[in-house]
Amino acid sequence: MNEMTSGHIVKAYSAELDHLNELVLDMGNLGQDQLRRAVQTLKDEDPKAAGQVIDRDRKLNDIDIQADEEIIRLIAKRQPMAKDLRDILTVQKTISDLERVGDEARKIANLTIHFYDNGKNPPSKEILHDIYDMSEFVDEMLGLSLVAFTELDLDKALEVIEMDKKLYEDFRGSLRRLSTFIMEDSRNVGSVVDIVLALRALERIGGHAKNIGGFVIFLVTGKDVRHEDIQAISAEIEANRVAE
Amino acid sequence: MNETSAATPGLAEETEAAAGTVQSTDATVGEIYVDDPRMTCRNVNVYYGEKQAIFDVSLDIGKNQVISMIGPSGCGKSTFLRCLNRMNDTIDVCRVTGQIKMDEQDIYDGGLDVVPLRASVGMVFQKPNPFPKSIYDNIAYGPKIHGLSDNKEHLDSIVESSLQRAGLWEEVKDRLDQPGTGLSGGQQQRLCIARAIAVSPEVILMDEPCSALDPIATAKIEELIDELRENFTIAIVTHSMQQAARVSQRTAYFHLGKLIEVGETDQIFTSPRHKLTEDYITGRFG
Repeated sequence: MNEMTSGHIVKAYSAELDHLNELVLDMGNLGQDQLRRAVQTLKDEDPKAAGQVIDRDRKLNDIDIQADEEIIRLIAKRQPMAKDLRDILTVQKTISDLERVGDEARKIANLTIHFYDNGKNPPSKEILHDIYDMSEFVDEMLGLSLVAFTELDLDKALEVIEMDKKLYEDFRGSLRRLSTFIMEDSRNVGSVVDIVLALRALERIGGHAKNIGGFVIFLVTGKDVRHEDIQAISAEIEANRVAE
Repeated sequence: MNETSAATPGLAEETEAAAGTVQSTDATVGEIYVDDPRMTCRNVNVYYGEKQAIFDVSLDIGKNQVISMIGPSGCGKSTFLRCLNRMNDTIDVCRVTGQIKMDEQDIYDGGLDVVPLRASVGMVFQKPNPFPKSIYDNIAYGPKIHGLSDNKEHLDSIVESSLQRAGLWEEVKDRLDQPGTGLSGGQQQRLCIARAIAVSPEVILMDEPCSALDPIATAKIEELIDELRENFTIAIVTHSMQQAARVSQRTAYFHLGKLIEVGETDQIFTSPRHKLTEDYITGRFG
């Protein structure tokens, strides 16, 4: 229970909002775990484990549907206003992004199957290296976004949004590096394309974490920052702090 | 910007800090001014005997706008509403200070006749209160006593147009001679609105106009309010936050006699700036 959900005269209302927030955390932890496991299957060259990651994605889909049902009931029953309304909208959007995190993790698991199932030609470890580096960074972003959501922490939310810039630069850097493998040996084209798709999946997971950071800022301040400049948002938040 | 500044004795800052909201109750949060005001209220204080009910409220009522006044019971929203057409004059111990102007005329000017004022600033009450007369006479009474009709034909046209504007004409046109009290609650309330319209007011005050009505009758009144906005300025006191959000363009939140926050309705109900406003509209107010 936090200051966004607590304090209603009707205690059941607070409990319902709390439960929604718990669903976000459950889904966030599951999504983060799916990401880690999917990347691990690549490292372990384990298509069987990759299949388990793919099966497990259903859990995320189930929570997504459960959250939507609870949100619909809650809106109909409570007619939320102000921060309750923002909380519900934030939960709905965050859940939606986390469901997509699961989809992206599934793509990586599929890649493991594609590479290592039935004795297909695996790529060289050198080509895979960028996936591991980027997955660690994206994992950190996702974790930070969930902490920002839990603690209603604007600084952490801003940090996640800022990290997305570095992620994009890293992604572009990886594309340049991978292109050299094609130049060296055109037989690498197939593997490189698959790996670019995996990197793209990771870059999207980072994008979802960034979105969650933006939702947290909306939740706390009421300001929609999705298409705003990060420096301007940061300056405005700081100015408001000083004014208070 | 605001002009209100008086601290309220005994108005404790009751709740803990929340991110992004103001907690001080020293001054009204939000924009009390509008570009095109129909009425301007400045530093209005209301006393019932020794007890002060309204503390230094300043607020513009915008032309052709609906402004909602919300707040917990006893917060002074109805008292403030009744100041706008001097209905509080009917209470012996009630005393109003400050300034309320309509068209540059101070309505509390000693020489002002309150009868034409109350025609210009009409009122609709919580409980429908049709006269114990026919539907026709309910509407015709005001124009008659204010000398607004030249002849029977003209009076007929006022009655018809008022009932039409109140969305009641089609339902009652064949039974104008029947008692107004025989209509349903929702119809009676629309009859009262038609009665207020019949004397060509500039402002219509509504004090919880739907609290005694079912959801269908409420929806019809809300639709009517939206239509009337084209020609009238409307100030409505309501306990229904959803109603305030639906019908008004501006919302004012009162608490213990002070105007805590005023702003665009969309802003008040999505991102209120004052913690008291937020606690009230989200059902956290103990």
